[in-house]
Amino acid sequence: MAVNWAQVIFNSAVTGSLYLIGAVGLTLTYGLSKFPNFAHAELITLGAFVGYFVTEQLGLGWPLALLVAFISSGLLGFLCCCGIFQPLARRGSSIIHLMVASIALGFIFRHSIGAIWTWKPLYFTGTGSAFDFGPLRITHLWLWLIFAALALSLAMHLFMMYTKMGKAIRASSSNPGLAQASGIDVDRVIRVTWFIGAGLAAVAGVFRGADTQIWPMTGWDIILPIFAVAILGGIGNFYGAIVSAFIIGLAENVGVVGLMALGVSTTYRIGIAFLILIVTLIVKPQGLAMLFRRA
Amino acid sequence: MDPLLYVLDLIVFIGIFGIVSLSLNLEFGFAGLANFGKVAFFLIGAYTYALLSQTGIPFYFCLIASALVSAVFGLLISLPALRLRADYLAIAILAFGEILRLIVKSEDWLAGGDWGVTVARAISIEGASHRVDALINIGLVYFCLLVFFVVIQLLANSPYGRAMRAIREDELAAEVMGKDRTKFKAQALMMGSAMAGVAGALYVQYLHCVLPGMFMPMITFTVWIMVLVGGPGNNWGVLLGAALVQIIERGTNILKDYIRFLPVDPTLLERILSDLQYIAFGILIIIVLLWRPQGLLKESKIRSKVQRLAYDGRRAAKNKGS
Amino acid sequence: MEDALLKIKEVSKHFGGVYAVNSVSLDINHGGICGLVGPNGSGKTTLFNTVLGLHKPDHGEIYFHNEYISHLPPYKIYERGLVNAFQIPRLFFNLSVMDNMLVAARGQEGDRLLNSLFLRNRWQKQEKGLIEEALDILEFIELEPWAFTPAAELSGGQRKLLEIGRALMARPRLLLLDEPAAGINPVLGKKIFQKLEALSTNGMALFIVEHRLEILFEYATWVYVMDKGKIAIAGQPQAIVDNPDFYAIYLGEE
Repeated sequence: MAVNWAQVIFNSAVTGSLYLIGAVGLTLTYGLSKFPNFAHAELITLGAFVGYFVTEQLGLGWPLALLVAFISSGLLGFLCCCGIFQPLARRGSSIIHLMVASIALGFIFRHSIGAIWTWKPLYFTGTGSAFDFGPLRITHLWLWLIFAALALSLAMHLFMMYTKMGKAIRASSSNPGLAQASGIDVDRVIRVTWFIGAGLAAVAGVFRGADTQIWPMTGWDIILPIFAVAILGGIGNFYGAIVSAFIIGLAENVGVVGLMALGVSTTYRIGIAFLILIVTLIVKPQGLAMLFRRA
Repeated sequence: MDPLLYVLDLIVFIGIFGIVSLSLNLEFGFAGLANFGKVAFFLIGAYTYALLSQTGIPFYFCLIASALVSAVFGLLISLPALRLRADYLAIAILAFGEILRLIVKSEDWLAGGDWGVTVARAISIEGASHRVDALINIGLVYFCLLVFFVVIQLLANSPYGRAMRAIREDELAAEVMGKDRTKFKAQALMMGSAMAGVAGALYVQYLHCVLPGMFMPMITFTVWIMVLVGGPGNNWGVLLGAALVQIIERGTNILKDYIRFLPVDPTLLERILSDLQYIAFGILIIIVLLWRPQGLLKESKIRSKVQRLAYDGRRAAKNKGS
Repeated sequence: MEDALLKIKEVSKHFGGVYAVNSVSLDINHGGICGLVGPNGSGKTTLFNTVLGLHKPDHGEIYFHNEYISHLPPYKIYERGLVNAFQIPRLFFNLSVMDNMLVAARGQEGDRLLNSLFLRNRWQKQEKGLIEEALDILEFIELEPWAFTPAAELSGGQRKLLEIGRALMARPRLLLLDEPAAGINPVLGKKIFQKLEALSTNGMALFIVEHRLEILFEYATWVYVMDKGKIAIAGQPQAIVDNPDFYAIYLGEE
């Protein structure tokens, strides 16, 4: 079987872009609040459904869909943060309790979505058709996805480096005590980060939904690779996440070629992310962060 | 359906999930381990039983094998995982459970893949009614439950359990006080996995089938609800939690059977009933975490008559002396 | 010198290029109270943690009873009788005071999984003795009335006492104490040192970090002064007090 390596590389960029957008919020909130938010999966799902609602059910355009999805997931993340996680943290809840709470919230959201939109898969219609470009098979959606990831990387870089809020996020993530002492309102920084992170999760959800299908488990389906991105990149480390998103995208797509060559079911592609996740946790839990000391 | 059968069915489920919640109580309530992949060991026990029972081996042997295979997996997982921080451990074990489900789903040769296979009842009597069948299962399940309960209760009130609780409270301090924390945690995970494995075996033989859809992360989550609502560190509490959660869960299922008698649009309610149930579970757990983090029943103190006796003896001697 | 109880040989420990402990060598003999003093950040606690096995030394060797222990995990070092009490009490807060004490006993039969289930008589017998021992210590540290209350309900001073009492429960051969007199009233502080002195004449060695020099110097038989990760001065308390360098080191920071 001849492998179209150009296509594999291109697909890796597409997969990596999706994981990057999905993982940014997770890694930033994890770094700041010091626990992994398992409800991040449902923030992705909610984004997908809101996007579906705006484009398909209201018949409005993509830009508006992305915006509304961003805001609704963002608000939900913000509310979870100040309504549940911060009060729990103030009461001295352990990290285990915070994780359980996030799983519980995930269940509430997932089943609320299920109750509203049913568990039958839904499809976006206006996703455009595929076309050939040289050896590549491309859809407009994929191009937009890559463009979105590039724009996000640039915007986040500028935001983290040059804005007051961005600097405050970096400071609070690396040393909350010191940040607090130097006049940063860490709690506020955390809330803002939750809003942005959850909003970006929704954007990932819209792209994922438009590319495949949506159902209440949409976010859960890709939560493993997204966790792998956050951990391989170093928790709380945005630059690490960029690199690791594309490493995992590449590993998955090359892995699929390998799986097919071995005659193994390609449903195992998600196992590749799992493998990377486990190996990172055991060998080097700080991930690629050491490459980006200053970030 | 026969109303009595509903009750018997409920009792069986409470027993099976009682075992799983006891096992999580051992791991989390006593040893402080965040096992977010409970369902993985439930699954291993279930599939071990399903595969072995097809070869015609007696059921008690299959049950023991389920426990052992689960325990071995628990130990294997623990070797790398227990060096991890609580959050990494949670992510790693949760991911492990998802991968296992993926494997049994993809490998059709193993146990029917996505479609599953039927599993024979452990004890089946020719021509027995459903009621008798359920009663037999109650006997079997509660026998296992009793054994595990006694074991955990004895451990919890021994120096071993005391060391385990110390590790939960402050693992570093426990380590410099002579407790090998990795060993204790590995043993907790191993025993907990064995129990969950037995519960998985009992579960599939009772339901007559095994399929990947039975092992969603939801199972792990409901077991966490049982433990957190009932009271971590209290074996009676987690059984109470198991009973409460199962009553709600089975109750919802029963409600589905009677839904057409309710004065609401049955199709809508039928559709969203299980969603509503899980939403309610989620809200319940958040309420518990916010307002009653110790659960319904408080952690049971280490019971030691000897301590009391020694203390009172001294008191009495002192009073005599003065 | 060959049979010193604890022998620290040129031990160094650095964190990211900064030497917290820099080629420290010292001996602790059987019995007696040995003091370790020095300004904040001079490496005292790091040295303790290295001895306990919480840090692995980057260079150098540590011997306890002529046995090389630097490679051992903390719990094995503890089982050999090298015991520590933290400066800030790290109690098992949801366990009762009594259970906190009992956890610390060395060589417990019931600590093993199978023993705890199947050799109940054996550990229960041992447990009886341990309980009496714990009550004795609790009586001394005046915590007997609180034997069955959770450690979380103790006051700050009581926690400190329990931390020390718990360490005594292990019948240490060498006890490392990090500021035992900090945070408790002076009378009790003195009483603790008197008790510790009594224990030291019975063969237990003590290695104590203490900022309240007036108490320490009264009881210590030998004192090491640490500065910037090194042992700057060593000698009998009187000699230390007479040494002008000591004031330079100790008051330099103020």
